[in-house]
Amino acid sequence: MRRLHAAAAAALLALAAGAALAEDETPALKSPGWSFDGIFGTFDRAALQHGFQIYSEVCSNCHSMSLLRYRDLAALGYSDDEIKAIAAQKQVTAGPNDQGEMFQRAAQPADNFVPPFPNEQANRAAHNGALPPDLSLIIKQRDGGADYCYSLLTGFKAAPADFKLGDGMNYDDYFPGHQIAMPQPLQDDSVAYADKAPAPLSQEAHDVCTFLTWASEPTLEARKQTGAKVMLFLLVMSVVLYGAKRKIWAEVHSGHA
Amino acid sequence: MTDTVQAPHGHDGESRRDFLTLAASAITGVGAACTLWPLISSMEPAQDVLAAGAPVDIDIKALQPGQQMVVLWRSHPVFIARRTPDELKTLQDQKELAQLRDPDSGILQQPDYAKNWHRSVKPEYFVVVGICTHLGCIPEFQPKPESVGPGWEGGYFCPCHGSRYDLAGRVFQGVPAPYNLPVPPHHFVSDTVVRIGENPPGETFDLNDVEQI
Amino acid sequence: MAAPSSQKQNALVRWIDHRLPVFAFMQHELYDYPTPRNLSYWWNFGSLAGIMLVIMMVTGIVLAMQYTPHVDYAFNSVERIMRDVEWGWLIRYIHMNGASFFFAVVYIHLFRGLYFGSYKEPRELLWMLGVVILVLMMATAFMGYVLPWGQMSYWGATVITNLFSAIPGVGQDIVTWLWGGFAVGNPTLNRFFSLHYLLPFIIVGVVLLHLIALHQHGSNNPLGIDRKGPQDSIPFHPYYTIKDMFGLSVFLVIYAAFVFYVPNLLGNVQNYIPANPLQTPPEIVPEWYLLPYYAILRSIPSKLLGVCAMFGAIVTLFLLPWLDTSRVRSAFFRPVYKWVFWLLVADCLMLGYVGAHRPEGINIVLGRIGTFYYFLHFYVLFPLIGKFERPLPLPTSISAAVLAKHGGGAAPASAAMEKH
Repeated sequence: MRRLHAAAAAALLALAAGAALAEDETPALKSPGWSFDGIFGTFDRAALQHGFQIYSEVCSNCHSMSLLRYRDLAALGYSDDEIKAIAAQKQVTAGPNDQGEMFQRAAQPADNFVPPFPNEQANRAAHNGALPPDLSLIIKQRDGGADYCYSLLTGFKAAPADFKLGDGMNYDDYFPGHQIAMPQPLQDDSVAYADKAPAPLSQEAHDVCTFLTWASEPTLEARKQTGAKVMLFLLVMSVVLYGAKRKIWAEVHSGHA
Repeated sequence: MTDTVQAPHGHDGESRRDFLTLAASAITGVGAACTLWPLISSMEPAQDVLAAGAPVDIDIKALQPGQQMVVLWRSHPVFIARRTPDELKTLQDQKELAQLRDPDSGILQQPDYAKNWHRSVKPEYFVVVGICTHLGCIPEFQPKPESVGPGWEGGYFCPCHGSRYDLAGRVFQGVPAPYNLPVPPHHFVSDTVVRIGENPPGETFDLNDVEQI
Repeated sequence: MAAPSSQKQNALVRWIDHRLPVFAFMQHELYDYPTPRNLSYWWNFGSLAGIMLVIMMVTGIVLAMQYTPHVDYAFNSVERIMRDVEWGWLIRYIHMNGASFFFAVVYIHLFRGLYFGSYKEPRELLWMLGVVILVLMMATAFMGYVLPWGQMSYWGATVITNLFSAIPGVGQDIVTWLWGGFAVGNPTLNRFFSLHYLLPFIIVGVVLLHLIALHQHGSNNPLGIDRKGPQDSIPFHPYYTIKDMFGLSVFLVIYAAFVFYVPNLLGNVQNYIPANPLQTPPEIVPEWYLLPYYAILRSIPSKLLGVCAMFGAIVTLFLLPWLDTSRVRSAFFRPVYKWVFWLLVADCLMLGYVGAHRPEGINIVLGRIGTFYYFLHFYVLFPLIGKFERPLPLPTSISAAVLAKHGGGAAPASAAMEKH
């Protein structure tokens, strides 16, 4: 009887949990499979470097990534010298100097990624009032995470005949409301990968979304690796403690087979 | 809430139960220690703090002989002084050396490549952490003779408790400060740029190893 | 650590005890303390709640070493913890998911109390102190959620503080006083940080009172009948210490699964977007553990009555010991109440679902049914069922019931069996 109660409770909980997930009127998200998925997931370093290259050459013209620092790129496998060179390509406003003036200097590894515009207003002015969001946390800011970003990037198409598309807007299957101010940013071979790997749109989207996932959560690998050790320890501890519990309670149980 | 589990009182010690309770106590103890570790470790300097402590390149083009500039490295004030030939002569004056606590820099307050009569990489440029080894005030740069008092040949004077150092940061006898001013890792990446916080190639030295910053 | 059996006390222990009887106290309250021999695993949740309180306070204190409670720095200070601070990501995820697990444990603990009549005489004050702890937890969690200064932090704070404007006359003045400004802003964030740090220590005080009240008459048990003699109880140590440790270990497996593998499952993506006072998120929802109250609030079309209903739902919990007229504690022996109890559980889950979604279409109807049933359950069903239900005959004693269940054959007193 008690087990029936527990089962009923579990069923109710499961129903509620399932129903509590937000409804979605857009098509089901595409899921290309990610190296960082699953309990043993890791980041594919090649994809990360490809993704960073795409960000640098394409996305960074409009999108900032202000929570990242150039020194963070060490996790992608770049050497200290490579990072210094990557940083030095950008200029940072520093100062004031002894004359009281602000001046420009080359970015250093400890600096945050230099944004494309000095402030939000300048960015909006360049984009008809729309603000390309900062991408540092974009994967954690969207339901569906990497799957959503991948679907969005590969979901641009011509608007259906019966769809009224606003001025300057673009149609995307996966963007809520289907109208997005951003024009399709990536096509096949938008970028020539440094390691000469093929770059069809699906690969570019996969690589940049891998990079963006890393950017949103650089400690993902550490989290999953620590998790494996902790879970194993806790499972072993549970077994040992259960054994101790049974032994200690045995005398209360005595007479019981 | 008890961390350890003890055997029931007054019952015979079955070896299996004792082993189990011992194992249970041990594993719980290990778990508790492992849980504490990240909490304590999180108080270590974070990565941005460590990055901010990276070496800095200082342009010394504008520094004139007899002048000193002050820069920040790891939140410490670092003096870069350009010594004149006359000032360098006083550093080798036996009468002056006799008044110093540690004229040969025997105590570890500088890297090996600064363990010389000028306590630096290049004699002309003196790079030193400007923190008095007494109680941490910032000493004044007083290169002119007689500026602090009669017999003063030039050096550093700490206003807090009167400690004195020569123009190579070596501390005088009879003052409260116990050690010479510490010399940080540094080397010249070019004739006009000195990098503070990094040793010359092939050298190792950590500022944290000195007796007193 | 603590004192072993009374014969083996060493000189140091005796010296301290003579001056401050901590060891004697622990011996009495934690070691020898007589506990019903038939407690089920539903009785683990009290100690789990205590441990969650400790976990939250320890991780919170460490996080507070790195967090900056200023609107311009708060969000980035949390991201700094996630990216730069050694193990910061772990401590943050433990604290974040810990809130959910703390509430999950306390809700199960509460429903255990409802099912087994733990709120009934002589444990009325014990129950009411528990409700006080729940209310303090809700306030602490609400303020804690504001601290990361994400979109949901800001807008959740705006919506909930605005509730007080429903108070006639002085309402808006109270809200302005709460905010310290014309809207939720930096003064609000700073005071929420101060109070979020303070409240857990008050919770500790109330927990101590809760434990003192508990120890006055001891724990309830699944049969709901009082202990009649020593054959009905066993010492807390080692039986329930090891059982609590085992339960904790299993609980930690589930907790760790969330922290390490799905740390953001229970959260809202909106809170990873920095607060923007000029842009309201598409849906403003509190964390899951506040959803049922949110549903009750929104189910009533009038602002003031909605607020009253929401607070009324919590006040109702204080009145339970007097609303229930049954003379029998445990639902094991209450054939009608035992099914009606599950209706309440279903109702709370449904209210939670409604709270998570926009108040439109079927959700409005469900919300109103849910709110209506909630009050019906406590104010109508509770008193009536108690009066008209014919309870099953109670066992004569705990040990008799345990013996009967397991076929007897054992020696009396210490060797009586336990079912769990």
